[in-house]
Amino acid sequence: MNELLSPNQVVKSGTGQPCKVIKFLGSGGQGEVYKVDWGGSEFALKWYYQQNATPEQREMLQRLVSEGKPNDKFLWPEDLAFADQVPGFGYIMRLRPPEYKSLNDLVAGKIQPTYIALIVAALELVKAFRSLHIKGLAYRDISFGNAFFNPATGDVLICDNDNVATNRTTKPCGVLGTPDFMAPEIVRGEVQPTNKTDLHSLSVLLFYIFCFGHPLMGRKVSNIRCWDTPARTRIFGTEPVFIFDPGDRSNEALDKQRDPTGEAGGWALVYWQLYPKFLRDTFTKSFTVGLRDPDRRVTELEWLNTLAALRDAVFKCVCGSPNFYDPEVAKTPGAHPALCWHCKKAVKHPFRIRIGKALVMLNADSMLYPHHMADARDYDFSTPVAQVTRHPTDPNIWGLKNLSGAKWVVTLPNGKLKDVEPGRSVPLAENTRIAFGRADGEIRY
Amino acid sequence: MPERPGGSLAKRPLQFIWIVDCSGSMQGRKIESLNLAIRESIKPMQDVADENPNAEIFIRVVKFSDGAQWHISEPTEVHAFKWSDLDAGGMTDMGKALTMLADAMKVETMPQRGLPPVLVLISDGQPTDDFKGGLKTLMAQPWGLKAVRISVAIGEDADLDVLQEFIGNPEIKPLVASNVQDLVKKIKWASTVPLKAASNPASRPQGATNGGSNVQIPAPPADAKPTSPADVF
Ligand SMILES: Nc1ncnc2c1ncn2[C@@H]1O[C@H](COP(=O)(O)OP(=O)(O)OP(=O)(O)O)[C@@H](O)[C@H]1O
Ligand SMILES: [Zn+2]
Repeated sequence: MNELLSPNQVVKSGTGQPCKVIKFLGSGGQGEVYKVDWGGSEFALKWYYQQNATPEQREMLQRLVSEGKPNDKFLWPEDLAFADQVPGFGYIMRLRPPEYKSLNDLVAGKIQPTYIALIVAALELVKAFRSLHIKGLAYRDISFGNAFFNPATGDVLICDNDNVATNRTTKPCGVLGTPDFMAPEIVRGEVQPTNKTDLHSLSVLLFYIFCFGHPLMGRKVSNIRCWDTPARTRIFGTEPVFIFDPGDRSNEALDKQRDPTGEAGGWALVYWQLYPKFLRDTFTKSFTVGLRDPDRRVTELEWLNTLAALRDAVFKCVCGSPNFYDPEVAKTPGAHPALCWHCKKAVKHPFRIRIGKALVMLNADSMLYPHHMADARDYDFSTPVAQVTRHPTDPNIWGLKNLSGAKWVVTLPNGKLKDVEPGRSVPLAENTRIAFGRADGEIRY
Repeated sequence: MPERPGGSLAKRPLQFIWIVDCSGSMQGRKIESLNLAIRESIKPMQDVADENPNAEIFIRVVKFSDGAQWHISEPTEVHAFKWSDLDAGGMTDMGKALTMLADAMKVETMPQRGLPPVLVLISDGQPTDDFKGGLKTLMAQPWGLKAVRISVAIGEDADLDVLQEFIGNPEIKPLVASNVQDLVKKIKWASTVPLKAASNPASRPQGATNGGSNVQIPAPPADAKPTSPADVF
């Protein structure tokens, strides 16, 4: 079983360079992973078990190596590796730094990232899979175990890229996926993984991240004694029903009173109520129409828009806990925002800015990005162009500071025009309008 | 002020039971290396539990020689589990051990909801009592039927037919340990891989059928190459 290779053993990369084994890192279902020295830098080497070292796998890897990674979030096969003394082959990829944690640790409650970090991670995952799908590839095994993220920043890394293949390939595939994440039509044995089944797995992953449970595990699991393959086939394949399906309550989420184990959606029920309607609607679409019709699944772009809007909707209650602004509630006459989930008091919304379709909460630490400023959204939140700031002498006055390279033209509430040069701020006041250049914004309260 | 309401995934209990042959023929080096092998398997089993947000693993041990007896009767959470050495001597009453297991697998004594139990039978010889009767009693229990059953044969004299019958799935063969290193390796495999498969199935390879079984078990490691003759039991 373990240790197909030993420390100091030298294997050769596909291009003929030596690659020296430093140490054993771990084993998986298909092989073992080692830390290696390749050309003076440390990399990871996955070496396949004999039964997995098939000519098909080798050919797939060869194609991935020449294709190159879709974006830098993938621990992509950089080169193949061979050894004279050991049968089979392996491939070399970048090492995953230790600060990247598995999504397993998240759902096990072992790490407590901020909401923003979680949303960033979700956005990065969707962006990464979108870039892969755009290249005509399918990932085919999206699951907890293959996605890692940095809880401090939300940055992600995607492992196990050796199952990636051309979408709709007719060649037999290595894997069908991880049972809990497989699309119903794969569980039922009707199709092979494609980019459409990836979309289902991606939605399940996102549901786990935001709701701490499986979207299809509700009342029905509470009646199952033994959770094994036949049980999974029923819940995920032949009788799948969303735990929040508005038209079918047969598998509804059960609260802690009705199911003390929490397995039947207990936590999902707690989280579900926190989110704005637009997020709940997107999940509902994924797991109702999208569950039954692969052609009507929520696309990567829909997810990006939903998640970006969710990022913009986060605001801090006076108690300090993050809550979400729901534009739907604000629009509905007579409706009141939910109480803060933590202190259970009425929430006080911060200043917010409307820019085109986006509505962004202006918290003490909020930033605006080029993403907010143009129709061509890039879902990139790395380089801000504006930042909420506090007045240097009067802490009761808040402003929006111009971090861009160009001046803004501001229309103050009294109608007067004012230039705000880079580095200067405009006070936050209702009805202030800002011409950012590429877009116009209006401050609300 | 907390960032999020908290929470973690619900866990299902998984009952793991070792069923160990402590007959006279196990005396000496065999039982000693078995004790070591199981001791060394505990950490990897804990790792399986740590990597798996859905399962809580509980361990028990049955031993058989003249009759059968619980060596560790209390289902013990894997992180709290401690191995105490087994001694050998006596007959091979495997059937009795399986009858005891059947009691433990009764619906009334098992948790209301769980993962498939994992039963690992380790033996070096021929049952001296009614093996078939014991197996029948075990398989009459729904949890016995649902259990992942794995067996490890120690040395040449183990009854492979009996060990195969215990598994009850022609696609999974008893693991045969032909020397000390091999025993450690096979026991480690038997105590971790089926555990992982029963608790949190990994990527499913295409075409994995596993004889219609309810849990897909990956192929065991290839047999070790012969080492020094002095090593053979
Ligand atoms: N690039 C990497 N850098 C560091 N550690 C890695 C890297 N890739 C894998 N590992 C570690 O090596 C071990 C085995 O990884 P592998 O991907 O083979 O396993 P797996 O995901 O459990 O199984 P499977 O291949 O069946 O999905 C794991 O502990 C994993 O965390
Ligand atoms: Zn509050």
